[in-house]
Amino acid sequence: MHSNASSIPGLLQRRSLLGLGALSALSLAAGVPRVWAQAVPAGRQGLDSGRLVIVFLRGAYDGLSAFVPYVDSDYYAMRPNIAIAAPDGTAQTALKLDKTFALHPALSLLLPLWQQGVLGFVPAAGLPAPNRSHFDAQYQMEIAQSGKTSSSPGWLNNTAALAKTSAGNAAALGVGEANPAILGGQAAVKLIPRGQSAERTGVLANDRTRQALLDLYAGDDKISEAFRQGAGSRMQSAQELTMQRTQRAEMAAEKMAGKSLDRDGTPASPQAQTAQMLAASNGAADPVGLQLDAQHLGTLMRNDRRLRLGFLSAGGWDTHANQGAVNGQLANNFGNLARGIAQLRQDFSEPGDVIVVMSEFGRTSAENGTRGTDHGFGNAMWLIGNRVAGGRWHGQWTGLARSNLNEGRDLPAHHDYRAVLAQVMRGTFALGDAQLADVLPGAKWDKRLDGMFHKA
Amino acid sequence: MPSATVITRASALAFLACLAGPAAYAQADAAPPSANAAAAWRATSRLGYAPTPASAQAADATPRAWALQQIDAAYAASRRPPAIPAELAGINAPLGDIARGFYAEREARKTRREANKPGAVMQNANAGPEKFSREMAQDAAAWRLMSCSDPALENPLLARMTEFWFNHLNVFVGKGPVRPFVGHYVVNVIRPNALGRFEDLLLASARHPAMLLYLDQAQSNNRGINENYARELMELHTLGVNSGYTQKDVRELARILTGWTVNLRDGEGFRFAERLHDKDGKVLLGRTFGSEGVAEGEEAIRYLARRPETARRISTRLASFFVADKPSPALVDRLAATFTATQGDIRAVMRTLVESPEFWAKDNTLFKTPLDFACSALTAAGGVKERRDIVQTLGFLAQAGQPMHGWQTPDGYKTDAGTWLAPEALTRRADYALALAQRTPEPSYLNAFFSTATRERIAREPAQLRAGLMLASPDFMRK
Repeated sequence: MHSNASSIPGLLQRRSLLGLGALSALSLAAGVPRVWAQAVPAGRQGLDSGRLVIVFLRGAYDGLSAFVPYVDSDYYAMRPNIAIAAPDGTAQTALKLDKTFALHPALSLLLPLWQQGVLGFVPAAGLPAPNRSHFDAQYQMEIAQSGKTSSSPGWLNNTAALAKTSAGNAAALGVGEANPAILGGQAAVKLIPRGQSAERTGVLANDRTRQALLDLYAGDDKISEAFRQGAGSRMQSAQELTMQRTQRAEMAAEKMAGKSLDRDGTPASPQAQTAQMLAASNGAADPVGLQLDAQHLGTLMRNDRRLRLGFLSAGGWDTHANQGAVNGQLANNFGNLARGIAQLRQDFSEPGDVIVVMSEFGRTSAENGTRGTDHGFGNAMWLIGNRVAGGRWHGQWTGLARSNLNEGRDLPAHHDYRAVLAQVMRGTFALGDAQLADVLPGAKWDKRLDGMFHKA
Repeated sequence: MPSATVITRASALAFLACLAGPAAYAQADAAPPSANAAAAWRATSRLGYAPTPASAQAADATPRAWALQQIDAAYAASRRPPAIPAELAGINAPLGDIARGFYAEREARKTRREANKPGAVMQNANAGPEKFSREMAQDAAAWRLMSCSDPALENPLLARMTEFWFNHLNVFVGKGPVRPFVGHYVVNVIRPNALGRFEDLLLASARHPAMLLYLDQAQSNNRGINENYARELMELHTLGVNSGYTQKDVRELARILTGWTVNLRDGEGFRFAERLHDKDGKVLLGRTFGSEGVAEGEEAIRYLARRPETARRISTRLASFFVADKPSPALVDRLAATFTATQGDIRAVMRTLVESPEFWAKDNTLFKTPLDFACSALTAAGGVKERRDIVQTLGFLAQAGQPMHGWQTPDGYKTDAGTWLAPEALTRRADYALALAQRTPEPSYLNAFFSTATRERIAREPAQLRAGLMLASPDFMRK
C-alpha cells in the first residue's frame, strides 16, 4: 500500500530535493509558525539542517563525579571515600575546568573539547519532580511527559516525524536496544545491534534464501512489514559498515607501513604485513563497546544524510556500592563513555551537529554506608557541538549545602530536562514553538538557559 | 587453595551426545488445520515454548483440559528435584561448595596478577579455578536452554513459570560475585516456588546470595544503609511504582532489613547478623515494626507480598506474559481476586488465567520474545543435542538484546511486541533459525499450525532449506 501523498507529483519532487539536501529556504516557508519564522536563518529549519545524537546513560550516572564541584567543601564532607580530589595537575585528581567545576580524570579525552569551547553542560537538570524509580523516570524522560502510563511515542520518534523523508525512510537510527521507548512510535526508525554483529548480512546474502523469506513475509501484517523493512535496511547497513571497516584497516595499514605496498596492494615488507594485520585486528586498537557502536552510528549517519537523529545508550551506572573514585567501576564506565563520545565527535562535528548526554536522574549528594550513592534527583546534562556555547556551564548551580539540596539529600533539578532539550532542538534544528510543543509536550522555554547555543 | 571441594567438571557438555536419541517425528502430512489447531498452538506456545509432536496431539484433542492439566503437572514437577544432567550438576551444589569455588577463583586470580608483574612468565588466565564463575554461568544458561526445550527434562510450563519469576525477581550474571550463584538461584529459589505461594518465593529470593549480592543488601547495615534492595523490593517485586510508598518508606524498609547479609565462607548462604541490625522502631507504610531481629524483615516481606497493590501488580504481569501485552482490566481484576483470596497461591491464579475466556480469545495476540523464539526453535529441533546448539543460541540471544541472565537492572526483560518486534531483529531470527535447522530434521508436524500460504511456499524449496524456513516463518513468530 502506498500513501496518498506519494502519488502527488509535487510532493515527490520535493522529497527528492530533500533527499539531495538541495532544499531552498523558499520551499520550507509553508507550515512554519509565523512568530518563529522571522527568527529562522535562511536555509535552516526542521530536520534538514543539523544532526542530533542522544547518549542515554541508563541507571542514573553520578554527575557529581563527572563534573566535580571541587571548591565546594560540602562535596568533600559528604563523600569522605568517593569524592574526586581537587585538581593538583596530576591524573590522580580532577582536571580543572573553571573556578567551580573540574572533570573526572577518566574523562580526560573530553578536556580538549572543553578547551575548544564545544563542550558545555547544565549541572543541575532533571525531571520536573523527583522520581527515584529508574524505570519510571527513564520512561518519562523518553516520552518527554510526566506520569503517563499508557504507551506514548518517544520524543525522538516524534522528532523523526518532522523529517520530510519519504514513506518508510528513517530519519532516526538507534544502536543496541531492541526498541527503546524514546524511538517508539509511528515514524520509521532504523535499528542496528551493538557490536560487530551490526556488520553481518547473514542469510539474506543468499539470493534463494532471501527470496523465500521475502515471499513468506509478503503479507500486510505488522510482522511482515517489519521483516521487509528490516531486510532492506540490514543488507545496506551491513555492507556500509563492512566497507567502512575495510577502508579503515587499509588506511591504518598504509599509515603504519609508510605506504610500502606492492602494486597489487599487498604489503611489501614483513613489517608492513604485520602492520596490516594489526590494523585489521585488535592491534590497531579497533574500537570496542560504546566506541564501536558510536563508530557504526557515525558511519551510517554520514552515508545517509536523511538520518538526522541518533540514539545510543549505555548501562551500568547504578553505583549503590563501591563506586570508586579516581579508579574503580565508575571510572571504568567513564573511560568507556569518553571514548564513545570522542568517537562521536569525529563524525558529528559539522556546524549543526549536537551530542547530548543525559540520564534519568542523579544520585545522592552524600555517599551511603557502602561507599556508593543511592537514587537522587538533579543531574548534569552534557552538550557537545560547534554551536554549543562550550567551555562553560549553563543554568543555575547552588552548591551542596544541605539547605540547598532537595529533601536535604539530592541536587535539585533547577532546570527541566525538556527545557534543556528545547534549547537543543532550537539550536540544532531551529524548531519553532509549535514544533517544540509537539516534540516536547509541556516543555516551557527557560530563559535562564538562553545563551547555551551561539546564535547561528 | 582451600581443600578440595571445588566443583570438578568434566569437559563441558560432553554428555550431550548421550541424551535422548534422535527425535522421531511423525511424518504428519500437511493436513488442513483442525478446529482446535489455533487453541493448541496458543496453549503449547504459552504454557511452554512450542508444541512437540506429542503435546501437539494432546492439546489439539482437548486444548482446555490439556492446559489445566499442565498446571497440576508443573506444580508436581516443581516439588521434585530438577533433572539436571550430571555435567551441569555444579549449579545445584550446596552453597558452601559454590562459595569455596568462588574464593578459590579469587585467590587464583590474585596469585596470577602478582605472578604477571613484569618479568614473570605469563600464565593462562582461563585455566583451572579461574574459570569457575564463568563455567558456572555457562552451565546455568545451558540448563535454561535444555529445560525450556526438552519436555523429558523439564515440564514445559514449569520452565515457563521459572522464566517468568526469574525475570520478575531478576539478578544479573555480570555482577561479579553474583555470577556463580545464578544457577543455584534458578534451581533452588525460583523453580521450587514457581507454582507455590508468592510470599514463599519472595522470601526465598530475599535470602539467597544471588539477590543479596545483586542489590547490595548484603552490605547494608546499621552503620550505613544501602537503599537499593529495599527500593526495588517495593517498586518491582511487590507494590509497584505508583502505589503510594514514599522515600521515607524506602528508608524504613532498608532499616528493617539491616543485618540481612551473606555468609559464604561457612557455607551458610544467608545470614542474619544481629549486631548489624538497626534495633530502633520503624514505621513502614503506616505500620510499626518493633525490634524483632530477623523476624521483623520476614514479617515486612510477607506484609508487602499480601498487599492488594502486590496482587494487582503480579496479576498484571502474569496476564501480560500469558495473555496479551495489554490485558483487559477485567482479567487482571479476576486474577487479583484469586491472588488475594488464596493468599498468593500462584497455582490458583494460573488456573483462573487458563480458565478465562481472555486466554483463548484470538484477538489477544502475543509475539515471541527472542528467548521464546530460541526455546521454541530448539523444541522443534528436538531439544538441545550438541554443544553447538547452546553456543549458537546464547550468541543469538545476546545479539538480539536478551542475553541469558544478562539483564543488568532489576526490572527484568520486557516481553511485549513493542519492545521486540523490530525490523532488523526479525532478520536475525532468520539467521539463527537457518543455522540451527542445518542439523534439524524437518519438523513437519508444525505444518498443522501453519497457514496454507506458508506451507505451500516452503514446499517449493529443497529439503535442506525447509526446516530453517519453517522456523523462520512469520507463523512461527507468534505464540
